[in-house]
Amino acid sequence: MNGSSLDITEVHSGQTCVLALSGRIDSTNADQFTACVNRLFAAGEKDLVVDFKEVLYLTSAAFRVLLVATDEAERSAARFALCSVAGQVRELFEMGGLLDLFTVHASRDEALGHTP
Amino acid sequence: MKRPVGLLYSADQVPPPSIVLFSALQHMAAMAVTLVFPIIIAREAGLSAAQQTDVVSLSMLAIGVATILICLRSRFIGSGYLCPAGFTGIYLGPSLFALHLGGLSLVLGMTVVAGLMQFAIAPLLRRLRPLLPPEIAGLVIAIIGLSLAVLGVRYSLGVTESGAIQPAYCAVAGVSLTVMVVLNVWSTGFLKLFCVLIGIATGYAASMLLGLFEVASLAPPEGVGLLHLPDTGHLGWSFDLATLVPFGVAAIAATLRIMGDVSNAQRQDDAEWTRPEFGSITGAVAANGAASAFCGLVGSPGINSYSASVGLAGATGITSRSVGYTAGGIYAALAFVPVAGAALVSMPAPVIGAVLFFVSAFIFTSGMQMVTARMLDARKSTVIGFSFAMAVMADIYRDVFAAAPELLKPIFDNSLVLGTVCAVLLNLVMRIGVRRRVRLALAAQELEREAVERFLFENGARWAARRDVVSRAVFGVVQVLEVIGTPLGEVEIEASFDEFSLIVTVRYQGSPLLIPETRPTPREIVASEDGERRLAGYLLRRSADRLTSRAQGARAELVLFYEH
Repeated sequence: MNGSSLDITEVHSGQTCVLALSGRIDSTNADQFTACVNRLFAAGEKDLVVDFKEVLYLTSAAFRVLLVATDEAERSAARFALCSVAGQVRELFEMGGLLDLFTVHASRDEALGHTP
Repeated sequence: MKRPVGLLYSADQVPPPSIVLFSALQHMAAMAVTLVFPIIIAREAGLSAAQQTDVVSLSMLAIGVATILICLRSRFIGSGYLCPAGFTGIYLGPSLFALHLGGLSLVLGMTVVAGLMQFAIAPLLRRLRPLLPPEIAGLVIAIIGLSLAVLGVRYSLGVTESGAIQPAYCAVAGVSLTVMVVLNVWSTGFLKLFCVLIGIATGYAASMLLGLFEVASLAPPEGVGLLHLPDTGHLGWSFDLATLVPFGVAAIAATLRIMGDVSNAQRQDDAEWTRPEFGSITGAVAANGAASAFCGLVGSPGINSYSASVGLAGATGITSRSVGYTAGGIYAALAFVPVAGAALVSMPAPVIGAVLFFVSAFIFTSGMQMVTARMLDARKSTVIGFSFAMAVMADIYRDVFAAAPELLKPIFDNSLVLGTVCAVLLNLVMRIGVRRRVRLALAAQELEREAVERFLFENGARWAARRDVVSRAVFGVVQVLEVIGTPLGEVEIEASFDEFSLIVTVRYQGSPLLIPETRPTPREIVASEDGERRLAGYLLRRSADRLTSRAQGARAELVLFYEH
């Protein structure tokens, strides 16, 4: 798990923008994620999927920015969904009883198949 | 979980009805051997022949209910495995002691108390997990196999009071055992599945030929019809503190035995078994406690899991718990058919001996495999070697140990209990100095997450700790660092590990963390830093198996405990 600071890769697939995250999400890099999401919504993005496949773990600060992003998406009438939430990351969502607060897809393909 | 080679029907599978029925009959025949214990108590209590029949009938009801309870898969009670019940020699010593002190009512009253004690022990087992590491569980199972082999040989030889061996007994046991082994090793299908039942039937036939068994012995006592509601007139319950300790020791011994049996049942169902799973063990011990209390209420001595049946399940490859439900149901129903009780109780001794000797081989090797699969260092070799020797000595020096004080008899009377108690105590002693400890100090301005990850993962690898457990600890520490922000002075992280737990302590200057019972609402989390801090505390509470947060002067300490 060495060198697990956050990397964000933007991939466009049709009308959907996929943010593939890699590493850990915590208070030291949560702003980086928020800035990225805000920039995309401000640019008129209406369909955003966050891929957690390469995320090692996330802390309370990360959950907060995800909730903020969900609110922001609602205000922008955009879709904000998560995908590939598995292993320890899924356990953290479940432990916090937070899984139901987000739209979660099993895989990126499934998320892309739900394009509004 | 990986299916072992040779397993035909696992605990969760339901075989075809014919296989369930014959398999249940096979287990019932094996379990019937243990009805001798209630009979001994009934005879010692001076009950009449008709009352003894009632005791057998009610004991059949008890063994049926106990088997269903222990096999049950539910959240609170039952093991979920095919782990039939049987009366046990563990309770014999305390029961005879109580019988001489206060009569049958004291035996029954204290049996209820022992059952309740065992029921109360069940929820504590998870914390007592270090008492039964896999190699100790394996040792217990091997000793169970050994003790059954000793008993089997004793029955097979028909040793008389003068010490002579009876050739007819040897012949019957030899024929019966040969049939079981030949069918088990060289046949397939039904013959292999029911090798024990066929061996028992052959043993009955050989016993009749040699005059060791008469069909007339199955006739119910005078005045008792084919169907009979057992009379409960002889039942009564009383209590005496003087018998509390022997019954308490017996309850603990029964707990250790069922822990070994359920571990064996788990292993028979999973080729990748590495350690006892305590969810089902806790349920099994609770079920055993409830079953023993029930036994006391219906006039029987205490009950336990029946190791020979667990071995039988492994030998035949049928570990479906539906077999247990069926055997239990039939036993409970047969409580009202006295002739059935007579048929089971009158099983010739050499046939019993052959069954016990046959299944002991599978139990013994299963236990030895569990022991030898572990890296045995000097500490573990001492525990295993000494305890095994003590178990053997209990049988060799039976006469010497018979002089032990009444209080200690449940331990010294029984090779299994003596070996297990010795293993558990030695294991506790040998754990001294086994915990390893490392520390990391972080400057307040440089609370690097990478340093924490490196520290925990590198030490975790050195200790051969499970990666998922270390990952949870990494999350825990990083989450703590996030909440405490930039404290004054350095932050100290201490990690200590033994085979059973990883404990991480974080010390820092400041106030203790708030660890809420409930999660803040999404609105609260988004609206304020306080909401996020409460979420952090809540996540910490949920991710660690236990945690404590407290102030130590100007510093605070958070201890995160993870089971391993």
